[in-house]
Amino acid sequence: MSVKIVNLKVNGVDKAFMARPETTLLLALREQLGLMGAKRGCAQGACGSCTVLLDGAPVVSCLVPAATVDGGDVATVEGLADGRRLSDVQQAFIDGFATQCGFCTPGMIMSAEALLARNPDPTADEVNEAISGNVCRCTGYAPIVSAILDAAQRRRERAEGADQEATL
Amino acid sequence: MLTEVHVPDDVDAAVRLVSSGARALGGGTSLMPWLNDYASPPTELVSLRRAGLARIDVAGEAVTIGAATTLAQVEQDERLEILNPVVRSIASVPVRNLATVGGNLFARQPHGDLAVALVALDARVTLVGADGSRELPAGDDLPPFIVTRVAFALPAAGTFRYVKAARRRWNSASIVTVAAVVTESDGVVTAARVALGGVGPRVVRAHAVEAALVGGPLTEQAIGVAAEAGRSELAPADDAYASAWYRARVFPVHLRRALLGR
Amino acid sequence: MPRVNPIDSSFFKDERGPGDFTVIGKTVPRSDALGHVTGRTQFFEDRTFPDLAHLKIHRSPHHHALIDSVDTSEALRVPGVLRVLTHEDVPANWYGVLRLIGIGPDDEVVLAEDRVIYRGEPIVAVVADSEAAALEGASKVKVSYTVLPAVLDVEEAMSPDAPVIKKAGTNYFVYEGHHARRIRFGDVEAGFAQADHVFEWRYSSAPIEHAPTETTGCIVEPKPDGRLLIHSNTQAAFFTLDNTALIINRAPTDLQVKGGTVGGGFGGKVDVMVEPLACIAATLTNRPVKFVYTREEEMQVSSPRAAERIYIKDGVMNDGRIVARKIMLYVDAGAYARHSPYGATKAAAHLPGPYTIPNVYADCHCVYTNRTPSSAMRGFGVTIADFAIESQMDRVARALGMDPLQFRLVNAYRDGDMKAHRKEASGTALIEVIQRAAALVGHDLPAEYQAMSSSTPRGAIA
Repeated sequence: MSVKIVNLKVNGVDKAFMARPETTLLLALREQLGLMGAKRGCAQGACGSCTVLLDGAPVVSCLVPAATVDGGDVATVEGLADGRRLSDVQQAFIDGFATQCGFCTPGMIMSAEALLARNPDPTADEVNEAISGNVCRCTGYAPIVSAILDAAQRRRERAEGADQEATL
Repeated sequence: MLTEVHVPDDVDAAVRLVSSGARALGGGTSLMPWLNDYASPPTELVSLRRAGLARIDVAGEAVTIGAATTLAQVEQDERLEILNPVVRSIASVPVRNLATVGGNLFARQPHGDLAVALVALDARVTLVGADGSRELPAGDDLPPFIVTRVAFALPAAGTFRYVKAARRRWNSASIVTVAAVVTESDGVVTAARVALGGVGPRVVRAHAVEAALVGGPLTEQAIGVAAEAGRSELAPADDAYASAWYRARVFPVHLRRALLGR
Repeated sequence: MPRVNPIDSSFFKDERGPGDFTVIGKTVPRSDALGHVTGRTQFFEDRTFPDLAHLKIHRSPHHHALIDSVDTSEALRVPGVLRVLTHEDVPANWYGVLRLIGIGPDDEVVLAEDRVIYRGEPIVAVVADSEAAALEGASKVKVSYTVLPAVLDVEEAMSPDAPVIKKAGTNYFVYEGHHARRIRFGDVEAGFAQADHVFEWRYSSAPIEHAPTETTGCIVEPKPDGRLLIHSNTQAAFFTLDNTALIINRAPTDLQVKGGTVGGGFGGKVDVMVEPLACIAATLTNRPVKFVYTREEEMQVSSPRAAERIYIKDGVMNDGRIVARKIMLYVDAGAYARHSPYGATKAAAHLPGPYTIPNVYADCHCVYTNRTPSSAMRGFGVTIADFAIESQMDRVARALGMDPLQFRLVNAYRDGDMKAHRKEASGTALIEVIQRAAALVGHDLPAEYQAMSSSTPRGAIA
């Protein structure tokens, strides 16, 4: 059995850790790097609780052997807030009561962030597709979809505000 | 138990490792769930992530997709618009960013909807083993070699049809999948290739359906007759998604929806 | 953004105090939301220990079998395996979670002894350095069996010819000497004799898995003072603490349960399934031990909501009054009691529904079969009974050619009515709820039904 040194950029910071063959990206984040936001709900790629962004795209980190993504760029829920200022998605989830038990929340938020990064003005149906890999068993999907649409609007308003500032 | 994860930089190295007993890993979405939770014999993995197989080439009508191309890459490639509804019917966004075109050929029914489409598109699969490469039609049993690419010709505009019936709108395995390329001339079907998923242990090439369709108009009645002819080709199973009875019962409906759009 | 439903204060005006609500009707942020959206909420598994050991289970592949032999030698040879645990390592192997409130007998084993009575029953626990080694070790345990016929149907289990699968001697829970939790009110046979119509239908439901996104699990940490700190996602911290103490034969003060953060429970995390073995393993290895279900274990062996079968027979008059209702209800407890005796009692408490019926007869059976033990889930006992009762109400109304809401209003209980449990109904509001629901969906009710009130004694309108 061989152990490999794996290098990742995690939330903008270079990290290195030792990965055993069975060390998935999820377990590496949790057990080697102490980032507990991504959760193990099924280890089958079915629940989406472990969703993180790998090179900008959301993936179920439980199915990724850590050694295969050496050199990759990973973003997790822990990296979203700027100090105490939450991301628009995070704030919209709080304001819109889009959390219940909270276990799916980090994965759900990462899927939402990925959606809004490539589609700033999604329809509710596009939100549904984007979070179709994230199971909320408390079945709070309606407030989650509302919160993501709300976050999209906040982001657009912020971008417009920034544009206006730039032209002043 | 996993004993090693190789990440070779080229296909030759991957082929050597597979020849010596290691298992090829595309996106891991089929194999990793098993390895995460169950005891297994000592297993070495060969990830194809860095083997240079993740690219899409379109030259005129000729499409070549590297085996390690993800379903998300296919989804986002405007040149492969006809496959967009196919890949979006498979699993979910964070799975499609991992799952590969080559891996989908090995997915077990009722999964593997892209393979259904590739059979309808008459795709050719290139495999490489220790003794060289070979080409097989999509849908054939694949030996445990490394798939390097799939190739097919883009069908004429409007001739490719695809419908996947599932329990949910998104992220659910197939109850019945229909993929077809149907060519018509003067209101008469001149050629048809029909592939089915969800209705057997492997992708079904529906020869009887094709034979019934060719030579007549594409009407509701003709499709009903073709579906009846196709029943003998179905060998559906009971699973958590649907009963075998239900799959056989709704097959004609989905064949009609695929071919007529209603 | 927050959606606040206005409070309808038009009903029961004279029963309301001054309008001094300080929370209801207002938006109060969730205190745990900030932790959830930043990933900082600490679930039980969100902690690491450098010397953490992992526990996995070897389970029965049979519904019902005698265990002839258990061989753990090969499992012990797997590199990284630290210990294997059998029933001999469990100080008090027989238990029942409800013994804390005086309900017995103790009918379940932590690890199987001479037999297994459901598929998935735990037989051997393997403790190892890594999760992979624990899985490997569990797969190497060898058990030989003599397979016995299985009982998989509640009514079959109740028949005198069925093999008895329980040590206590009956395939049903015994309620104070009776075969079922019973209701006897009035004379149900006389009621049927007097009725214009008698209708009887059968209702059944399948087991339902809670499927919490976070699977059942715990980490037990041996502390320097010899106590055990249990990080758990149990929904029932003190139930878990006391039952675990009894099973491992330690003083409750030796244990501390740290929890309350549950990644979805829905009743599925009130049994005591993982903590006792993790405590034993932590004690024997003097290392922190994690025992967490895989998704497959969560789906296959964690207790689901019980399957139920319910027969309802109603005697009804032409004007819609139900004069007799007889219910035979079977809760499929599966192989072990867990919370099901309580569930069947809750079902009995819920019968005959929120209707005033002068003659009621019910037997609510808590039946044992060789299926996965069922237990608590959101309103267990009540939910399926309600499904059956309200389906019955619709069918009877249809058979009488009556509007289903009017049929319910005729029979709805009112303040002062005597219920089948011999409690006087009070604070009832079913009539008003139906009236309001009908108005909301545009379902017209005749004036005499709109004039009904829960606080008007029965008979004032009839």
